[in-house]
This record gives sequence, structure tokens and C-alpha cells, in this order.
Amino acid sequence: MSRWRYFFRRLLLSVPVVLFGLTITFVIVRMGPIDPVAAIVGPEGGGASRGRIEERLGLNEPLWQQYIDFMVNMLTFNLGQSWVIQPGRSVESLLMTYAPRTLWLGFWSVLIAICIGIPLGFYAGLNPNTKSDYLASFGGIVWRAMPNFWLAIIILAVLRQSERFFFGLSWQSLGVSNNLIGQPPLDFIAFTDWITVGIISIPVGVYFSFSTLIESIKQVMPAAIVLGSAAMGNEMRIGRTAVLETINSNYVETAKAKGLRDRVIVWKHVFRNALVPLVPIITNEAFILIGGSVIVEVIFGINGLGYLFFQAAVQGDLPLVGSLMFIFIVLIVSINILQDFLYTVLDPRVGYE
Amino acid sequence: MGHECLVSLEMANEIDQSRRTFLKTAGAGAAVATFAGCITDEDPSEEEGGDEGILNRINSTMTSLDPIQSTDTASGEVINQIYEGLTYFPNGGAEVENLLAEEVEISDDLLTYTFTLKEAEYHDGTELTADDFVYAFRRLAESENSERANFILGDIFLAIEHETDDDGAVVPESIGAEAIDDRTFEITLRSANPNALDLLSYDSFSAIPEGIVGDIEGYDGEYEHSEFASEVAVGTGPFEFDNWDPDAEAEVSTFDDYHGSVANIDGVHWQILEDDTAHFTYAMNRSADVFSIPTADYDQSLIDAETDDEGREIGEYGPVENGDMLDYVGVPQLSTYYFAFNAPSVPVEIRQAIAYVLDREELVQNIFEGRGEEAVTFTPPGAFPGGPERRDEFIEDYPYELFETDRDAARDLIESAGYDDDDPYELTLTTYESEVFQEAGRDLRDKLAGLGVDLQLEETPFATLQEQGENGNLEFYSLGWTWSWPAADYGMFGFEPENTNTSLMPGDASGYYLDWHEEDSDASAMAQEAWETVEANPEPEEGQEARNEAYIDMEQAIWDDAVMLPLYHEIAEQFNYQHVDIEPFGTMGDYLQRYNNVTLDE
Repeated sequence: MSRWRYFFRRLLLSVPVVLFGLTITFVIVRMGPIDPVAAIVGPEGGGASRGRIEERLGLNEPLWQQYIDFMVNMLTFNLGQSWVIQPGRSVESLLMTYAPRTLWLGFWSVLIAICIGIPLGFYAGLNPNTKSDYLASFGGIVWRAMPNFWLAIIILAVLRQSERFFFGLSWQSLGVSNNLIGQPPLDFIAFTDWITVGIISIPVGVYFSFSTLIESIKQVMPAAIVLGSAAMGNEMRIGRTAVLETINSNYVETAKAKGLRDRVIVWKHVFRNALVPLVPIITNEAFILIGGSVIVEVIFGINGLGYLFFQAAVQGDLPLVGSLMFIFIVLIVSINILQDFLYTVLDPRVGYE
Repeated sequence: MGHECLVSLEMANEIDQSRRTFLKTAGAGAAVATFAGCITDEDPSEEEGGDEGILNRINSTMTSLDPIQSTDTASGEVINQIYEGLTYFPNGGAEVENLLAEEVEISDDLLTYTFTLKEAEYHDGTELTADDFVYAFRRLAESENSERANFILGDIFLAIEHETDDDGAVVPESIGAEAIDDRTFEITLRSANPNALDLLSYDSFSAIPEGIVGDIEGYDGEYEHSEFASEVAVGTGPFEFDNWDPDAEAEVSTFDDYHGSVANIDGVHWQILEDDTAHFTYAMNRSADVFSIPTADYDQSLIDAETDDEGREIGEYGPVENGDMLDYVGVPQLSTYYFAFNAPSVPVEIRQAIAYVLDREELVQNIFEGRGEEAVTFTPPGAFPGGPERRDEFIEDYPYELFETDRDAARDLIESAGYDDDDPYELTLTTYESEVFQEAGRDLRDKLAGLGVDLQLEETPFATLQEQGENGNLEFYSLGWTWSWPAADYGMFGFEPENTNTSLMPGDASGYYLDWHEEDSDASAMAQEAWETVEANPEPEEGQEARNEAYIDMEQAIWDDAVMLPLYHEIAEQFNYQHVDIEPFGTMGDYLQRYNNVTLDE
């Protein structure tokens, strides 16, 4: 099998995964114990309102009919409107509101983890059993061990009293002044002008504010460090092991014997092979950061997708849960495909039988 | 910072608005870039609290800006700044007063209310007319977006005159709301309701411009409903709507042509935060001016306050973490949190035994740091029939131990029911996801240990709890009740034994999940009889005495059968930095407070 056929087969296999995931979502939300109508009505609502709301939401239809409607709507990307969280608001507009916050946070936490964890791990791996290796490894374990929710609360408690802890240096007025809590401003970039060529719109006017960007980064940084901390420790540990393994392998010895310079050996042979075990780690983390950041988001007042998903699930907001699940499933599947694709690039052995 | 900043803030607001339209239309990149710095430097939402005339508050997740759709206090707080109804409770106090109504005339049969309206203007410049109220009331009754239709139609609520079709839906234009002329609005009720004026203060009854949404027959609507619920809000209130970024922030600004006293501040900004740490950090950074303090960061001993004649604690709190002293207001709220039983599922001896071991004082001190008032009767002191003194008198006869644990009495009762430590009675307590009730449940379980009741704890989402309750599947559960107006009536209807029949829920019964009608006891019969007395005496004034006695009989019946164990009444607290001058709020809650009388001084 060629690597392209392998890739294509992976793509095809993802279709039943998506269908199955959607079905399970429907079963859990509609046939489980959570009742969206009760969530809407609240304790003071009467029976009459209940019946009306059921009718409006289409909950009085037979279940199979609801299932078919749900599946058809999702698969045709007709995501519908929220029932409970913000009744009547379209799911797309909710996504457009919440997703950027989470993506911005996720982007920085992945980036921090990669930019600090991997180089540190590689450094430790290239200098095994030295003092700096011990320091880095120990640090990695400590980072890894600190739970997100705890670290978040501690970081907030320290930063809000930063004058007391850092001899009058206040975090809030450092560089650009901002709030410790709340959404990072994401309006540092916007398209101001569009030109339509045929049916495609191309942005031509761009608005960009450097100071808002800096403010936005500063705002998201504490949360990103907390969220990325576990991943950072992980990547550091695995990076170190991977480098140690490759550096002691036969082909590296052969390369040394061949008289290659150390630099070439490290960059061309060691690093590339050491990256292979790191790929699934990074891609998996990317997903955890998108879906699993509920606690950190809420503590820092960022309230993004994770928070929205949690609220929707608890209150039985079927269209919203369904759409978010659908998007998460599609995301997982595509990240997995991307991962396989990266494998085939990094490691030519993958894909051939 | 003073006057200069005020000016620049207004400029920033204008720029901010023009930028939005700008971005939508066209423009050269360079021109935008020149005022980019302006926006970022002057963004009002990013400034520290209080120094620029914006009142900064913290809110929780909001659902909708449509008054007939929102059911939560978080949306309610914002809606109350923008919209107004005929009556209101000033600062959330206990006395209802006229707001958009200048005068009210009530007919002799107590069924017709004629309101003369004030001259008021909407935020878009149009005049308020009686037709707007007809439209608003019709929406509340008829619109599919209305989640409070029972407040206008329901028999225990306003019970406005209306017709229903064969499916039980309201016939369009059939409700008894009529515009006599531009300034005169009249409603007709089906049955006399002593609390009609209190009820009309609820935000769902707010005036909105006629025809703004097309969700009832006869209107096309200027806006889509989804826009009206999230982006457009036009009322007569002291503040105009600016923006709402879901789960991030909301903002309103002062309406200069307000019919009442125009606000001193420039606007109100809410940061939407759900987490306690986030909440406290935001407050301690002085990003919020008026806020609450999460229990984890709260210290009862920092309060230095005195009780005023309305039972409120008013004084100072502090010094807090950042060294400041705060102004403090603590007010007992009209709410009751309780444990209740499905009567036929749990023998009366077991219920009474649990009443004997329950120690409310310990609960309030241990779990809430004293931020609650022990509830002995279901009706809170502020709404108790005959007033708070009558309540104090009444609870002296509490049949169980008031503020301690009596294990011996409990053991005797459990033994008489045929259970003991070797053969314990198995009981499941279902609470919703609240640390407080779980803690209270654990406490109760420990108190019952060795007495012959094996208590299991189960936690479930709120929506699930309700579903289980309606199916009659809850043996022993926790819930709460909040009064929408300060009268015993509201809340007692749920105890009429016939109305607690879960097999009729939802729909034909709307009581608590007690199934008390199945209990063949004197108390149950007494409660049923008392409720019938209430229904037979609807006159607001003359009937009051008879109703009060009946309510007290019902409270007595609840005690005797121990179908419900009230736990505590909430105490709501508000803290503010001392540059804020804000009137203390009242027993109906601070979300009813309108901020047009707040001043900021720094």
C-alpha cells in the first residue's frame, strides 16, 4: 500500500467514527436523565409553560423522528439554535463568540509547552546525568505534578498581590496595564475591506494594533502557562528519553565513525528521529487543550468553548451539545489524520506494509 | 483622575462605535491604524474601577435580554437597568411603588386595574403609550418565546382574563389588557389577586415599543427575535444598552432623557465571571466597585455593622487583602432552602426523627460562615403572615429541638417504626450539585449514624432532580424556593396536599414533590382545609387575617408531619469600595436595584 492510499483509507474510516459519535451524543442527551425543559422553566415554571416549550423545541415528536432530524441537521452543517444557554441564538454565532477565546488560549499553551518543554528535554538528553540535566528533569517532574486548578489559584493569588511579593513590581502595570481576570482582547486584528472575485471574498484592508496584541498576550499568558504546564513537563521528559535513545543507536555511531560533524549528527539524525514519539503527544495535547480547559478558563474568567460545552451538557441544550460534539469529533478525527500525515513525513516507514 | 478622563472616555466610546460601523463598511488600513492606539488606550472596559464614571460590577452567565424570555437574576440585573414596568420595588426593598404607572385605580370587584401612565420616552426617542403595554402583555401571554406565560395567565399568579383554544393555547388578542387612550392602560383579572401590583413589578411585565419583534399575531417585527434577545434592547429605563459579549461582559450607558432622575454615573459595566477565585481576584484588583465576596475568602469577624429597622446589617468590612476598608450591607432574603420528603415513601417516624437530629445553627455556622439565617418555618421572616414578630412567637412552639441535636428522641421514634442499628432504614438523599447541600447531607448522615437510619447521598444536576421529582422518584431531596414578592401567598400554594400529587405533574399539579395527599394524617387534612380557607378569602384587605391564620395552620401541619425541613434563609451581602455611594438594597435582592442614584467619587 502506498502512503497516499494509506492516508486515503484513514480518511474514509473517519466517516463511521463521526456518525457513531453523533449517535452516542444524541442517545446520551435525549435518552439520559437530563431534561432541557426543566432547565429552561426553573423551579417556578408551571406545567402549562412546560407543554408549550416542549412543543416549540419539537420534543413532543417521536424519538426516532428527533434522531433523524438531528443527524440530518448536523451532517448538513445546519447547527440550529441554542435551547437553554442563550435561547434563540444560533450555534454558529455562539461558536464565533466562544471559540476564538479558547483557540487563543490553546495556541499559547501549546506554543509555550513546545518552545520550552522540547528544547529543555533535548538539552537534557544531549547532556545526560549532568547537573543541568538533573535540574531540568526535576523541574519537569514538578511541573508535571502540579494540578492545573491548584496552580491557577496560586498564580492568581501571587499575581494579584505582586507588589508585596516582588518588591513593589506590579504585574498589572508591567508593560501594558490590564486586568488579571477576563478575556484577552482579540480585536488586535481585523479585516476592514473585502474584494469579491467571482464568489470568493478576499480581504484587502487589514487593521492591526500592536499594543492590543501585546496586551492580549499578556492577558492570556498566566492562563496559558498553567494550562501548558503539564504538557511542558511531559514533552520535556519524553524529549529527553527520545534523544537519549537515538543518540545511543547504531546509526548515530555509524555516522560518528563516518566522521560527520556533531552538529550535523544532532540536527539531521538525532532530532528528526527523536521527534517521532513526540508527535502523538503534541497532537493529543492540542485536543485536550481545546476541550479540556474548562477549569483553567473559568478560573481566569476567560469562559471559552470548554465552559460553554460544560454548561450546555449539564443543561441538556441538545443543539449546542450536539454541534459542539460534532465539531470536537471532526477535530479529533482531523487531528488524528494530521498526526498520521506527519508520521508519513517524518518516518517514511509508516504506511508501507 | 477627574474631569479630563471623563471627556476622553466619551470620545473613546464614540470612536469605539464608529469603529464598528467602519469595519463593516470600507476604509484604508492606514486610517484605521492611526486611531488603533486610541482605542486600546482608552477602552473603558479595561480601566480600573470607579475612576471614570463607569460603575463596575461582576455578574454571572446571562441567558437573554428579552424580558419575557430571561428567567435568571443575572439577565434580570441588566434587564432592570434597561426596561421598566408599571410598578417596582425600589432598591429591591419590600414596598412596591409605581414606576411607569402614575396612578392606579382598582375597581370595587377587585378585578379591573386602570393605570395612568407617566410621560416617558424610549431610548430610541419614541413616546411610551398604553399600546406598548398591551403589546408587551400579549407577548408575555402569547409568544412562543415567553418562558413566564404562567406569570400572567396562571391562577396563582396574575390570572388575567383570557380565552384558550381546544389545545389549551391562548387565543391571540384575547387577554384582558386594553389601551383606553394613549396614557390609560387597563387590565381585567379572572379572580381577585391581592398581590397583583407586586407581581406587575416582575421584569417580564416591562414596557417595550409596540411591534419591535414579530413573535405574536399581527406584527411583522422590526427585529428578529434572536437580535432582540442579544443585540437590541429598547426600554424606558435609566440606562441604554451598549453591548453584551456572552460570558465575557455587558455594558449599559446613561440615558439622558430618562423620565426619572438621570443617572450620575456614565454607565454600568459587568464582567461575567463564574469562578470564585476569578471573582475575588477581580474585586481585590479594584476592577469592580460593588461586588460580593466568595465564602472561601470571607471572614465573619471582619464585619462591623449595625442592624437597621428593616433588619439589614449595615456597616464596614475589612481590612481586606489589598488593605482597603469596604462598605458592607447584609440583608436576609426571601428565600428558603430545604430538605423535603416524598411522604408516602418515608414513614412519618423516620421523618420526625430526622427533624430531631437536624441542627440548623451548626449548619449555618459550619458551612456558610454564618452567612444565612436558620429557617424554622418555610416562610421567611420578611414574608411571614402577621410579620416577623408573629414568626418569633410561633417558632417557640417548634415540636422538635430547635437548635440542637436530640439523638435519644430520634432513636425512640426510629425504634417505634421497627428499625434499629442492626436492621437500619435505608434512605437516599438526592441533592443537586451544590457543595452546601452535600455538606449538609454528610452532616446529617453522621448524626444519624448508629440510630437505625442508613442515609445514602446522591448528587444530580438540577434539571435531573426536577425531572425525578415530577416522577415522584425522590425519597428525600434538597431544593430551594425564592419569593417573587414579599407575601406568604407565594410559596404556600405548593403545600396544598392535592397540589403535591406528583402523578399529576407536570401540568395539573404545581406543588412541591411531596405526595402529601396520600398521607392519611390529621396534619395533611389540616393543610388541605387551610388552603381551602385561603381560596375562600381573596379580598386583599379583609381576607388578609383569615389567610394569615390559614398559612400559619399550614406551617404547623408541615411541622407535625415533617414533610419538609426548612434549613436556612439566604443572607445576601454586598461590598463596595468607599468611593462608591450606593443605597443599601432590600429583601427582594440586589439584582432589582437600578443604579441611577449611585455616585462615584474619587
